[in-house]
Amino acid sequence: MCAAQSRKRDPIVGTSMPTLEAADKVTGATLYVGDLVVPGMAHAKVLRSPLPHARVVSIDAAEARALPGVVCVLTRDEVAAAGIEPVYGFVYRDAPLVALDKVRYQGDIVAVVVADDLATAEAALELIEVDYDELEPVMDVDAALADGAPLVHDTFSPIAPELRPVEGTNVCHRASIAWGDVEAGFREADRIYEDTFSAPPVQHCALDLHACVAAIEDGAITVWTNCQSPFPLQRELQRIFKMDARVIVPYVGGGFGSKSRDRLECVVTAAAQLAGRPVRLVLTQEETFLTFIRPAYRGTIKTGVKDDGTIVARHVRFTVDVGAYAISGARSANNTLKVATGPYRIPNALVECDAVYTNKPPSAPYRGLPTTQHTMAYETQLDRIARDLGIDPVELRMRNLVVDGDVHITGDLLRSTHAKECLEAAAAGIDWGKPSERPDKPAKLRGKGVSCTIKYTLTPPTRLSENGAEIELREDGLFEVRIGTVNIGQGSDTTMAQIAADGLGVGLDRIRVVHSDTALVPVDSSTTASRSTYHMGNAVLDAAAKLTADVLAVASQLLERDAASLALGPDGVEADDGESISYEELVRRSGGPLTALGECVVGGTYTAPDGTEYPIASTFWSFASAAAEVEVDTDTGEVRVLRMGAASNVGKAVNPDSVRTQLEGGVGMELGPTLFEQLVWDEGGQLLTAALMDYPLPTMETSPLYRPEIIEHPLEGGPFGAKGMGEIGSVITPAAVLNAVYDATGVMFHEVPLLPHKVLAALEGRK
Amino acid sequence: MRPFEYVRPTTVGEATDFLREHGDDALVVAGGTAAVVMMTLGVLRPDYVVDVGFIPELGPELDGSRSGGAGLRLGALTTVRSIERDPAIAGAYGLLADAASQVANVRVRNRATVGGSVCYGEPQTDLPPALIAMGASATIAASTGVRTVPLAGFFEGPYETVLQAGELLTEITVPLPEPGTFGCHAKFTVGSPENKPVANASVLVRTDEAGRCVEARIVMGAVGPVPVVAEAAAALLAGEVPDAKLIAEVAARAADATDPQDDLRGPVWYKRRIAAVLVERALSCALRKAGNGTR
Ligand SMILES: Cc1cc2nc3c(=O)[nH]c(=O)nc-3n(C[C@H](O)[C@H](O)[C@H](O)COP(=O)(O)OP(=O)(O)OC[C@H]3O[C@@H](n4cnc5c(N)ncnc54)[C@H](O)[C@@H]3O)c2cc1C
Repeated sequence: MCAAQSRKRDPIVGTSMPTLEAADKVTGATLYVGDLVVPGMAHAKVLRSPLPHARVVSIDAAEARALPGVVCVLTRDEVAAAGIEPVYGFVYRDAPLVALDKVRYQGDIVAVVVADDLATAEAALELIEVDYDELEPVMDVDAALADGAPLVHDTFSPIAPELRPVEGTNVCHRASIAWGDVEAGFREADRIYEDTFSAPPVQHCALDLHACVAAIEDGAITVWTNCQSPFPLQRELQRIFKMDARVIVPYVGGGFGSKSRDRLECVVTAAAQLAGRPVRLVLTQEETFLTFIRPAYRGTIKTGVKDDGTIVARHVRFTVDVGAYAISGARSANNTLKVATGPYRIPNALVECDAVYTNKPPSAPYRGLPTTQHTMAYETQLDRIARDLGIDPVELRMRNLVVDGDVHITGDLLRSTHAKECLEAAAAGIDWGKPSERPDKPAKLRGKGVSCTIKYTLTPPTRLSENGAEIELREDGLFEVRIGTVNIGQGSDTTMAQIAADGLGVGLDRIRVVHSDTALVPVDSSTTASRSTYHMGNAVLDAAAKLTADVLAVASQLLERDAASLALGPDGVEADDGESISYEELVRRSGGPLTALGECVVGGTYTAPDGTEYPIASTFWSFASAAAEVEVDTDTGEVRVLRMGAASNVGKAVNPDSVRTQLEGGVGMELGPTLFEQLVWDEGGQLLTAALMDYPLPTMETSPLYRPEIIEHPLEGGPFGAKGMGEIGSVITPAAVLNAVYDATGVMFHEVPLLPHKVLAALEGRK
Repeated sequence: MRPFEYVRPTTVGEATDFLREHGDDALVVAGGTAAVVMMTLGVLRPDYVVDVGFIPELGPELDGSRSGGAGLRLGALTTVRSIERDPAIAGAYGLLADAASQVANVRVRNRATVGGSVCYGEPQTDLPPALIAMGASATIAASTGVRTVPLAGFFEGPYETVLQAGELLTEITVPLPEPGTFGCHAKFTVGSPENKPVANASVLVRTDEAGRCVEARIVMGAVGPVPVVAEAAAALLAGEVPDAKLIAEVAARAADATDPQDDLRGPVWYKRRIAAVLVERALSCALRKAGNGTR
């Protein structure tokens, strides 16, 4: 085969394929952290606070320590004695390894018992006596913002430079962004609408429960975990313990943000240090409810429009309940400022947010962060406006949606937009424009609704490389792709293998992927915010280009041919004239494996073809739409989602099946919080929905007919034009469902979940 | 989960002897679908787990032969799935099959037993209302002897029954209904059917040739500490050929008899409303069956 032909082989990027690990997963061969056994390993159990807010007067663990089989008990005293840093946190350093002076939510970690077996550890928990001095809890944002409210933290400890706490309050971050002149905009408006929306906390409920094994050997830490951010965790471990650390993340059975930042790893490492042997901690499902949750949200949105539906001004104020520790939640609120006004041309905008401490468990991103709730707020209001103005909801959106070349409220120049095409495709998925079929019972009503959104990705304020990828041509002639991306079920190994294969011009069978082990792969910031396909994809592509050049240079010498006449073929480097050298031989004769490091540089500014420079508030912007058809039972208030269309402009679908299932998964997952999921605390701060028995989850029974559609308009700068899309299915779901219910019943709901009793009450005008 | 000693008796006598000794510290486990969940949550922390699943005497006896054709004997280990599917039950005991078919999902139904669903005493379970409507009784064995309790008097409160420490439920007997008796079960859950229901309702009716109601029983679950028998509501049907108006009236009267609690599944007013909707649905369904003569 000649080189010119092999270069023209069918691309692998853009071809649907099962993930590389699919067979192992369905046969149960895949190991997750909870399956790992390290020689000499002991087991940990956590003693949690029964109170939402209290001073810890004393902890007596003597009896627990005396129990046969107990290795050690970690409390604040042992942390102090060990001389390690007692507090951790990613954007806020405010979370103690174990409670210091106070506990700040029901479930806060007070002590860790390490024992030879789990049963002993569990038994020992009951032998620890803790004396608490109860404090008044603040269980929601209103209570936390009230004058004279008890303070969850007396001092603030932000790490991320953009965070702005308000001294003397529970506000750990207050921020705003402005665009145009919002007051002038409202003066121009023919009509002004104002609505307030709220959503309670929920939990991600990943199948793979939070788990971690920590071992310290020869003065170095090794941690196996299912955390989505191995490298930031590595840095945190090194800071706290002043030792080298290695973080290994095997396959992860879902995170959805619940594992976006470390939460157990430093605690378990401290326990392992005290125990003098490796320690494993696997949380129960009930404990995950106390670990990281989606924050409660409330947003008030005021929109000014012209009589023809043109939006002229929008003011959004929202609060995010970050819970007891702002490890992660404070920045989540900040990041969504830039998408709170939606994918619309808005000349005048103001967005303000408060991130507020309360005595709830700490919050973490949840597949799309509050973008989902923002979308719910602005999209449901838009349907109210549409009805008021007598304009079809799709038409009203078409008049206002952004297009390529528009400038967003952040000043970013929008590219690879195609929001209108997304809306059309999603709407077509439920036959928008055609009336619903008549339900089989008169007590049932059907309706249709749509939604549109814009989503950002995590983006640094200045130009820098956030991640690398390495490709090595090994002695066995295989290309090893080393990536920091955590394979969390999204199929990242496969996506990166596809990108590497096409970048190199070799077959998928030549590619091996090594993932998320800080000792083996280059640094990566995190597997969050739909960032991997773009960022890691680019780094892989960069590495492939560099390695290709290196390999061709070596081959050029060995084959005594001009590098320009050579190309990578299926089994080796091939020359135009038919000469070739196998990869194995090339490595052997070049004296060892060839390795190249690629990177992905982001941030800074974007220079348009006309030379104008624009800021980059988001490395790429994602656009998507959903359309829902629902049936409402007016006897019971039950809402059933019959069909869901969903479409996203993903730039380029590297593995189209994966893209479609991500869209479906996002929609299906978010139907839970839309229809029935919620975490509920009583006035005393006790979690009532403490187990799955009282916390319904979506199942096949609640799944609609999915109609996912891929829209592909390549993004300049994306690998093969691709951008991220892992969260977007979630983001668009509640708004479309709420709008469909509005269409069916004429009642607009200003909160989720759409619990049947609330729906029935609203239908009947009950308070 | 707290460590425990696992005991596997093979006869009722062996089981009750063990329970006489250790009844207070022992937990009987049949299908385990409720018991094991309670253990993993730490709600139940027994020293001994007595697995009764290997006692042949507790096995199903679906054809009614032992009771001379005058009724149905369900050994305590009869699975919910077999109640749903067994042809011997589908006919005269159709209400039971209907209720069984609405329990959770196939996985749970395959393991869950009739004994477990009764002894659990959870107000939300599906089989107790159906069994009470059909006039079933429980046979209870202890090392000291055997007693029989009508299921209508079996439940004392949430998770509380007449069963004493040391006792074992061995079988449920259901009298053969009069010809012309038909029943339906209805339930309403938020989200998936595995979730605890807002309410459920079993309705049994017997009509004469003219379509007049001769007898009716209405029993509702999850709307009181124990299954609620709505006698006054059922009495409204006596001698009547029910129309939509009467059905609605009966449903409303049945809901009046409930005593629900405000909880995660809804406020009191809503549970009453759902109880009425379910009685209406189950009653309409039973009358429809009676009208067609098909169970
Ligand atoms: C996901 C899920 C969904 C569910 N959904 C439903 C539903 O839709 N409808 C419904 O009705 N129920 C439901 N249940 C509740 C329950 O599991 C069932 O009612 C089931 O029938 C219990 O039977 P079991 O054999 O599994 O009982 P077990 O779990 O073995 O026992 C339950 C209780 O009864 C006692 N017990 C069992 N057998 C005997 C005996 N012979 N003598 C004395 N005591 C005994 C046990 O000690 C224990 O206290 C659900 C449970 C789960 C886990």
